[in-house]
Amino acid sequence: MDKYIRNIYKGVYSVLVGMRITMRQFFEPNVTHQYPYEHDFEKKQNVREIPKGYRGQLYNRIEDCIGCKKCEMICPVDCITIQGDKLPKGEQLWDSMNVVHLKDGREIIGILDGDDKDINLEGSLTLTNTTSRLAPQEVIDRLEPSGDESRTQTISGDEVSRVVTRNPVVFYLDQFDIDMSLCMYCGLCTEVCPTECLVMKDSLEGIEYSKFDRTDLIFEFDKQEMYNKNDESSIEAAD
Amino acid sequence: MSDILPSSLFIQIQDASGNWASDFAENVIIPKIPHLPVELGTILVMLACAGIFVAVVPLLPLVLVLAERKVAARFQNRTGPMRVGPWGTLQTLADGIKLIFKEDFIPPQGDKLLFLLAPYVIFACSFAVFAAIPFGQNILVSDFNIGIFYIMAISSVIVMGVIMAGWSSNSKWSLLGSLRSAAQIVSYEIPLGLSILTVVMLVGSLGMKDIVATQENGFFSWLIFRSPFTFLAFFIFFISSIAEVNRTPFDLPEAESEIVAGFHTEYSGMRFALFFIAEYANMFAVSAIAVTLFLGGYEGILPGYDFLGGFPGFVIKTLGLVFLMMWLRWTLPRLRVDQLMNLCWKYFIPISFFNILGTGVWGLIFKTDDIWSIGISCTIIYVGLISAYALAGRVFSRKPAPQTS
Amino acid sequence: MESTQSTESKIIELKPFTDEMIVNMGPQHPSTHGVLRLELRLDGEIVREAIPHIGYLHRCFEKHSENLSYPQIIPFTDRMDYVAAMNQNWGFCLAVEKLMEADDEKEFAIPERAEYLRVLICELNRIASHLLSFGTYGMDIGAFTPFLYAFRDRERLLLLFEKVCGARLTYNYIRIGGVSEIIPMEPGSIDEQNFLDEIEEFLDYFEPQIDEYNDLLTSNSIFSERTMGVAVMSAEMALSYGATGPNLRGSGVDWDLRRDEPYSIYDRFEFDVPVAKDIPDLGAVVGDCWSRYKIRMDEMKESVSICRQILAEGLPDGPVMADLKAVRPPKGEIYFRSEAPRGELGFYIVSDGTPKPVRVKGRSPCFSALSALQELSQGLMVADIIAIIGSIDIVMGEVDR
Repeated sequence: MDKYIRNIYKGVYSVLVGMRITMRQFFEPNVTHQYPYEHDFEKKQNVREIPKGYRGQLYNRIEDCIGCKKCEMICPVDCITIQGDKLPKGEQLWDSMNVVHLKDGREIIGILDGDDKDINLEGSLTLTNTTSRLAPQEVIDRLEPSGDESRTQTISGDEVSRVVTRNPVVFYLDQFDIDMSLCMYCGLCTEVCPTECLVMKDSLEGIEYSKFDRTDLIFEFDKQEMYNKNDESSIEAAD
Repeated sequence: MSDILPSSLFIQIQDASGNWASDFAENVIIPKIPHLPVELGTILVMLACAGIFVAVVPLLPLVLVLAERKVAARFQNRTGPMRVGPWGTLQTLADGIKLIFKEDFIPPQGDKLLFLLAPYVIFACSFAVFAAIPFGQNILVSDFNIGIFYIMAISSVIVMGVIMAGWSSNSKWSLLGSLRSAAQIVSYEIPLGLSILTVVMLVGSLGMKDIVATQENGFFSWLIFRSPFTFLAFFIFFISSIAEVNRTPFDLPEAESEIVAGFHTEYSGMRFALFFIAEYANMFAVSAIAVTLFLGGYEGILPGYDFLGGFPGFVIKTLGLVFLMMWLRWTLPRLRVDQLMNLCWKYFIPISFFNILGTGVWGLIFKTDDIWSIGISCTIIYVGLISAYALAGRVFSRKPAPQTS
Repeated sequence: MESTQSTESKIIELKPFTDEMIVNMGPQHPSTHGVLRLELRLDGEIVREAIPHIGYLHRCFEKHSENLSYPQIIPFTDRMDYVAAMNQNWGFCLAVEKLMEADDEKEFAIPERAEYLRVLICELNRIASHLLSFGTYGMDIGAFTPFLYAFRDRERLLLLFEKVCGARLTYNYIRIGGVSEIIPMEPGSIDEQNFLDEIEEFLDYFEPQIDEYNDLLTSNSIFSERTMGVAVMSAEMALSYGATGPNLRGSGVDWDLRRDEPYSIYDRFEFDVPVAKDIPDLGAVVGDCWSRYKIRMDEMKESVSICRQILAEGLPDGPVMADLKAVRPPKGEIYFRSEAPRGELGFYIVSDGTPKPVRVKGRSPCFSALSALQELSQGLMVADIIAIIGSIDIVMGEVDR
């Protein structure tokens, strides 16, 4: 009989304790986000913040890519396909140049004064023959030394996020495809990339992969217009 | 929908003599249409009432389903449905429309007739219960002298529908669920009926309006405070009715983590919606019955005043109990079959018998309800609760210590 | 019901006879924790036999590994026990590092900072894993709310992991020779301070929360009724089936690799190892579902204490990656085991001196524990099967690999 009454007590008591806890949570604020409607990325209010370095969609800045195929080799699932031809000996698509990535996202292409190896970000950088990134062929043309003062630019080291040296490209990239339907987002390829041109987007735009056709998930990064089309005949002739 | 008409009509015709329906027919309709027989007029009035009833009552589950989801969300720090309508208020409507347009799948190996019939049986029974619930002084479909008895009888038929659904689906999960449900509902009918009996013993009537009429003198005349035994009976009634409507912690017939969805595993589309509506209608119905029997029905808190009385008061009290059910559901885990039976046969039924005995003795001592009987009753309840609280706090405040080496 | 009619005496004999019912629970079932299929032989509600069928999530991890270089295998270990992926990474890296230590020519030492980060992150991951186990166990038993509370807290941990390695579930954070530098965290920088502060904030929030969960679920009488004394796994049985981790300690065997065979820097921290005891007051028996579950709840507290010790010491300065030119272990083989949240995670690696292993075998704790299910479940009820599966806390990704 003692056990009987104890059981009743115990049951009722533990139920009441549980009910007290849930009732306290009843008045706690929400922890969920109304995701697409609270899409206010500017204010970052009550919206899940995507941290820096998030491993999102792969993106290749093909202009910086030297076609070393390290990413293709390290990829555990073989989702990167690179095909490139070597150019004939002695020919190169462009000279050595520097790409300065500014902190506000802009990029300036030019030739750095001084040695590439010891870039001092504490002072300022001086770039000669600067140009925009939009027209690759134009870039190549305008890198020819011109003494034009207007194309010399001095940038404060505070604004610079990083400086990439683009070595003379001896590869002709035919194909740089990333199959995002295969990618397992391990991030190994971005770690081995020597020019840091292969990155994973850490923004929300890289998180949407709904496509009607699976082949749409193969992202092609090679841009044929980057190379001088007229030169193809000469390349063929050299072969 | 049409299945509900015969049952409620049948009851009303039984009670036709002196009914307000026949009065209404005689006074209003007959003068307008002189050659109409009174019986036909009565039937017409009843049909109209049944039509209104059938149209209005299903709106209740619509609200309750949304309320359940919102309350559950609040208990879990969520917002619940937010997309359809302002704050998701039209979500259940959208769900209903979706369910209507879904494929009505019938298992090819199953018993087609029973499969089609089962949702209607459950639906009709759960709505027929509403016919005897007094929502207000004059808002009552039929006030007949065996009201609570009728409710018990009709709500027991639901188990037939559950067994039909489980058997005809030809699915093992459905069968397990329906048999669990049958055992559960049949068992819990007993403490339910016995706790109702304590009330009936004190009131001396089975009619719902009579039961409410004895509670008209305010808060302390509610039957829950009339004697310590009705106080106990209220909790037994309430917990048993949770078991009756298959809600957590007694939701074994549809335990989703054990037997997928129980007896309605194979149902889809509108038939599934009927089960769903019936479940929430049942939930409201048992709360309404508890309010009628123990918490004063449509009578207010203070005698003579309408505060928390009448139809709004009734609905508020009922929704309070519904909220309590939801609160329990989102707090407690689920019992096992044998523990469920243990709880019923070892705890509820003996206590219920004790209650009946006690109520009988109480009725012998206090022939009429006066200030003495209610005062003594309230004192006993108060002292009992306080001592139980003190004892429980002393005995169970020890938490299981961390088990370390 | 089988009736035989005797023609002579005209008496109908009724011979009650119940058929056994065979039910396939799973692979698509709400509470089989993934794609486990249980073949249940039921006599009404009583389970006569429960035969687990596995393999629905088999992804050939071991065969796959033979064609990959060592760093490439690490993302695949993430996908074994995806709930505690950090610990899986660590187990594999520890094995490879041990194998590489045999090579005298290439000496390397794992930096202190990396070791501290590894322990910190893995203990947080243990909390996350046990939280998921607690939540889903509540849901299996029928209480839905603890599940969402657990996920609410786990979400904070996942956000922390996201900040440190860029992913929420498949981290690929712990590498051979250190930890990933994909998101640089300079020693003493504001990033590091923010990260540690956030962990501290979480621990301060979480420690009282465990007590609340204990009140809400552990000491709930319905929950205790459902789990106490159900499916008792004796110590002998646990040892013979190779059950490890919380399942073994739930059976009363005092064995924790972190304390008894300390790897990494676990010998520097003080922590208790929860071991189940009989609690006659409540009705708990050593080896029942409740004990196994309670061990996890207590282990979370111990993990919190380890994390606090690291935070009190602070992360040491220095690099986070050893100076390894290439991962090329010498010829040989290694079996190394570590204490993952679900038990002993072992990796057996055979190397022939090339960058790719010849054979990789993962010793899965869940697989061993699951094999005990058949014996545990005999004569119990359908609802108890669910309680057992939840209490041995399996992750099918690890069982099938």
